Amino acid sequence: MKTNNCITLKDVSIGYNNDPILSNINFSVKPGEYVVLFGPNGSGKTTLFKTILRIIPPLRGSIVYDNDKSPGFGYVPQRQYLDEIYPFTVEEVVLMGTFGQLRSFCPIPKASRALGERCLKDVGMLKTKSMLFAELSGGQKQRVLIARALTTKPTVLLLDEPITGVDITARKTITNLITSLHKKHQLTIIMVTHELHHIPEFVNKIIHIHDRKLLLTTREKIISASGIDEIIHYRHI
Amino acid sequence: MEQFLEILSPHFLLRNAFYAGLIVGLVCPQVGLFFVLRRMVLLGIALPQISNAGIAFAFLLHTLGLHFFYHTESDKAMALTGSIVFTFIAIFVLAILARKQKAFTEYRIGFAYALAGAASILFVSWNPCGKAEVLSMLKGEIISIPDIYVWSMLTIYGAIFILLIGFHRNFILVSYDHDMAITIGKNVLLWDILLYLIIGIVISFGVMTVGPLVIFGFLLIPTIAARIVTRGILLLCIVSSAIGVIAALVGFYISFRFDLPTGPTDVILLCVILVILYIGKIFFRLKR
Repeated sequence: MKTNNCITLKDVSIGYNNDPILSNINFSVKPGEYVVLFGPNGSGKTTLFKTILRIIPPLRGSIVYDNDKSPGFGYVPQRQYLDEIYPFTVEEVVLMGTFGQLRSFCPIPKASRALGERCLKDVGMLKTKSMLFAELSGGQKQRVLIARALTTKPTVLLLDEPITGVDITARKTITNLITSLHKKHQLTIIMVTHELHHIPEFVNKIIHIHDRKLLLTTREKIISASGIDEIIHYRHI
Repeated sequence: MEQFLEILSPHFLLRNAFYAGLIVGLVCPQVGLFFVLRRMVLLGIALPQISNAGIAFAFLLHTLGLHFFYHTESDKAMALTGSIVFTFIAIFVLAILARKQKAFTEYRIGFAYALAGAASILFVSWNPCGKAEVLSMLKGEIISIPDIYVWSMLTIYGAIFILLIGFHRNFILVSYDHDMAITIGKNVLLWDILLYLIIGIVISFGVMTVGPLVIFGFLLIPTIAARIVTRGILLLCIVSSAIGVIAALVGFYISFRFDLPTGPTDVILLCVILVILYIGKIFFRLKR
């Protein structure tokens, strides 16, 4: 079925063990859009995000992709979920994005290594290629994870709390990086955040998850509806 | 030096024990790195003990005249079957319970370890005959390994080594970032099952051949030692197997030279290597 949307959610319910967290979700994402899923911790943002990525199956409803074919997803997880006991170099982390294309029993081809280097260069992390991933700062790790997602050659980039817990300078660098990927490469962006001030001014859609409901909104509406205390509340959750 | 050359000679009387040690030293760290990296070290201790209980149980049945196989009365075949059955049941039950209630995984593994340890001793003490032989197998007296065992070990461990190298990327990705693996189209359940199957085979066959202590030692210590000094997962794999092979080689020489039991000598040597690397790293850091 040909639509103008790259992802459409129809009456989708999400949750675990048949226990819905959010029900009757209906929204769509057009190619090249910048969409933010916004809401407090525990509201179901990450579950929704993982359902879109097909990591968790929806309890009800359907998720339709453009041309009935799943778009190339580039997935950027929350970096703290990745265990630092693994002594990966930055290059090894980035090359994971190419594993979907590689055959078992074959060494990593030069083309994949070149792609990995190109993506590292795009995020300004090429110099760290031989360093241990665990030794990087939070912001640097996030940029490496974005590079890893880029090696999957995605059309949609999904980022789970990419700027949470990083310092102001790194936050600015990552925000600019995501913006540049969106504008220069026309990547569709779906970003999850629980902090209002992490949402860029120019996003196409903000989906606010509030009281188990999804509201299509704007930054201004969130500010005016919630009041200053509420914003501080969101910032400090 | 003369004794060392004697060990390397193809006509050396205890060559099978030496070859078995080298095979274990090469292959076990490749499996063990998943125990260390997936933070399942406790399971790495418990599974050999459970396999051990399976062997003791099989010997007990054999002594009592109950055979798994009607056409053969081979106690070794019985023991291997017991080891495999106990190990796979434990992996299956623990994996299912871990999926349902992850928070209590450590308790369950501790419980399984204690139960298997006590059961092994009771099965051996109930065994009216052949206690010495059973105890020797359970202690990991590597000295008396028949040719057929070394060849079987070479075949099974060789195949597993090739699988681990060939599918290395998939096993690592599924272990490190489950969600990413799904996103790029990997069948996570399939790779997890294959990895647990490999773990089960390595442990049940290894415990049967060289005993639980040696298997546990070679599964975990080389990887922990290699992690201290390596940067990158590829180097970790190479260095951990290198440590395993060196410990098997030098350990066998020391045990032969000083008339010590091979299994415990190998494990002590692995521990010494680990401590040296750890201290070396601290000195290196201080110097910098």
